[in-house]
Amino acid sequence: MSIAAAVLDAVRAESGLHGGAHATRAGLRIGELSGVEPESLRFCLETLVVGDALEPLTFDFEIRPWTRRCRDCGLEFRVLDYNPACSACRSPRTDPAGGAEMELSYLELEEP
Amino acid sequence: MRVPLERKVLNENDCLAAALRERFKRNGTFCLNLISSPGSGKTALLERTLEGFDPARRVAVLTGDIQTDNDARRLARYGFPVRQITTGGACHLDARMVERGLEGWPVDDFEILFLENVGNLVCPTSYDLGEDARAVLLSVTEGEDKPLKYPATFHHADLMVLNKIDLLPYVPFQAALACENARRVQPDIEIVQVSCTSGQGLDVWRAWLEARL
Repeated sequence: MSIAAAVLDAVRAESGLHGGAHATRAGLRIGELSGVEPESLRFCLETLVVGDALEPLTFDFEIRPWTRRCRDCGLEFRVLDYNPACSACRSPRTDPAGGAEMELSYLELEEP
Repeated sequence: MRVPLERKVLNENDCLAAALRERFKRNGTFCLNLISSPGSGKTALLERTLEGFDPARRVAVLTGDIQTDNDARRLARYGFPVRQITTGGACHLDARMVERGLEGWPVDDFEILFLENVGNLVCPTSYDLGEDARAVLLSVTEGEDKPLKYPATFHHADLMVLNKIDLLPYVPFQAALACENARRVQPDIEIVQVSCTSGQGLDVWRAWLEARL
């Protein structure tokens, strides 16, 4: 719920930076490793928006995969079955890349 | 009109955490964020850790719970500064709570600051507290697959403390499998195995801490 509140604060702040235009849709980029369950977050967001000045506002989730980058061949690959080794060259020398995202990726604003 | 953004949802928390981290770095304070399920032994580990320190050492603890100051009272017996953060419902600490918890303390003088998070393997993961390192505790009365069930938490941890190893003869827990699971999620994770009851492994844990100062 506190993450949902932070999302709405971010929407308010960004609308404010764009002349206070009403946002009708917010894009959220959520990584598989963010620690956030998208459906729970959606439920909390929809609950908080009811009766708020932000209403009507809908949410669009983009789920980002858990990825690592290979130090040997440079490939950024998706981690499947918790296997941290490179999916192309099988090197075990890999570093964290994506999947921790928790971002507001866009707002659709009403034309002034 | 669609406006593309790249705004982190927890941007404000991250900014506060960055300021805390800078402050800890400037003063040479090593800050450790301890995360685990309820009952894995965070407070017991801190009790044994504080008990082993020379009283002249400059060590402090902020301990978070939803309710009660029981943990702070347990930890205060060792003579080091301890404060309870009672979150009043929130299931994690955030950087603002840490900043407020430190108010009035001679933070600049601390060599180690422990942040005992609220017992929860999910929500604390998302909140940077400005720590230098993050330790996740797993006890042998839990499942070996906890790292696979809560990959985000273990993925962001620098150290796994496998606790209650004195109970290994009495439970079906396979320590090697738990360690393997943690390394699948976070290949660079360091692991120490301890018992806060028997004291086994605590020397390795202390050495890990001292190496970071």
